[in-house]
Amino acid sequence: MTGNNIRPYPPLTHRLFSVWYRHMRVYTKYILSNAFPPFLEPLIFLAAIGLGLGKYITESMEGLKYIEFLGTGLLVTTAMFTAAYECSFGTFIRLEFQKVYDGMLAAPVTVNNLIVGEMIWAGTKGLFFSFGVLCVLAVFGIVDLPHGLAAPLVGFVTAVMFGALSLFVTSFVKTINHFNFYFTGFISPMFFFSGVVFPTSNLPRFIQPVVELIPLTHSVRLVRAMCTKHYQLSLMGDLLYIIVFTVIIGFFAIRRLKNRLVN
Amino acid sequence: MPAKVITVRNISKTFGQVHAVCDLDFEVEEATCFGFLGPNGAGKTTMMKMLYAKCTRDKNCDGTINVFGFDPREHELEIKYLSGVVPQENNLDEELNVVQNLTIYSKFYDIPSAQTNKRIERLLDFLELTEKRKSKIRELSGGMKRRLLIARALINNPRLLILDEPTTGLDPQVRHLVWDKLGQLKKAGTTILLTTHYMEEAFQICDFLILMHKGRKIMQGTPRDLLAKNIEKYVLELPQAETPKISGRGLLSHIRIDESGETARLFSNDIDDLKTVADLFETGRFHLRQANLEDLFLKTTGRVLNDRQ
Repeated sequence: MTGNNIRPYPPLTHRLFSVWYRHMRVYTKYILSNAFPPFLEPLIFLAAIGLGLGKYITESMEGLKYIEFLGTGLLVTTAMFTAAYECSFGTFIRLEFQKVYDGMLAAPVTVNNLIVGEMIWAGTKGLFFSFGVLCVLAVFGIVDLPHGLAAPLVGFVTAVMFGALSLFVTSFVKTINHFNFYFTGFISPMFFFSGVVFPTSNLPRFIQPVVELIPLTHSVRLVRAMCTKHYQLSLMGDLLYIIVFTVIIGFFAIRRLKNRLVN
Repeated sequence: MPAKVITVRNISKTFGQVHAVCDLDFEVEEATCFGFLGPNGAGKTTMMKMLYAKCTRDKNCDGTINVFGFDPREHELEIKYLSGVVPQENNLDEELNVVQNLTIYSKFYDIPSAQTNKRIERLLDFLELTEKRKSKIRELSGGMKRRLLIARALINNPRLLILDEPTTGLDPQVRHLVWDKLGQLKKAGTTILLTTHYMEEAFQICDFLILMHKGRKIMQGTPRDLLAKNIEKYVLELPQAETPKISGRGLLSHIRIDESGETARLFSNDIDDLKTVADLFETGRFHLRQANLEDLFLKTTGRVLNDRQ
């Protein structure tokens, strides 16, 4: 025993770090195959839309060319998708099939640490995926640097939010097939109705409140404002929505998963 | 008086209608090996999980659990930091190799990087895995995986090592290796807590045993005491079909007979009584031996499967 072993267990920040570190090491084991999609996907998307569909869309959307409009939206949808997969299928497999959490919970880590670490890891992936899209957008001159560098940060908070939501969903899931409802019924529609593909302002009025309730809407507004330097006070409301949503859903996700992990 | 590492008083745990653990009491002394013996579903694993807060005791249970002076309800981190757990199921990270699996766990305990490598090499050497240090998990045999799980549990030099059926499914060589290593750890001062349903394992390595059945403690003591106090010394095993031969000869006055399936077992403290019976049969038709923990186990927990097995 060395002299610095006086504290009875590692501090909170280190416990969260150790959970994050585990996921990072496992993920980066296959770094090439795992890091390829975040760069390739936006490339394919922009090529298809920009070179193909975009030619027919001449009207500007919220003052942007269509490719700029769509491209900036993709910065956060990629974060949403990666976090949603990581904290649904990924978490469920670790929970039920690999029993990874049983091992981790025998080490000095609480269920709270474990779940919060999971969200931070999802956020990290979101940051990385947003950064991948940003690189592609920057190369094609769709987004200017350096202010575009704020986009991965929005990717981070977006991914933490969807990480929390997906963990909450996972806490209800008994068989892995149930996630189909979540993705087909919730995540995919969100992609279309949150102002990524077309502006929501032209949707019928009765849909507007629904659009405001959708988490992704607020991420899209934030990231687009960052990329186009249209900073305005109402963005604080969007950020507040994301924070409050994450905290509340995250709280219930932890509470429900605790019942599953500690019985 | 040796120090008590674990003290458990009146602990109960209910899952729905099932009483997994009922009013359990026990104490574990430092640097001893303590065994939970019992059939599947006896509550052994549940009890061990309650010690490091992986399971919670019943809310209305007024018992106490004390591990190193801590109650797992409030101080799970202190307990986990001082303990290592070897799970029943393999939960190694398949994506990583042997050394990386250990590195990840060294982070959980915040072991300084400078010490990590040295410690990992020492553990690999201790569990005879050095040659496999770069192997993928799926290339390891069942015995190697179990040894790696033990190495992982030892990464923070735990004062308490908890093992859930450490040798289930292993071949005799690995089983003896594991027993040997556990013996060495105990000598070095580690307290060991394990569950098993291998009687030989319990007899070989445990200093103290509690025998559990349907969540209750039904017996406790050192392996030798348990045998001496609760079961006859010798057993004669015969095919059930042969038993009519011995009835009516007045041989059975000091013999207890346990008939089940194809075999009849005759128990007695006097080997000569059993020899007299055995003389009625040809060599090879009977088996005369010392009674062991398995006989005691079956005597106390019954031969018929219960609904939890």
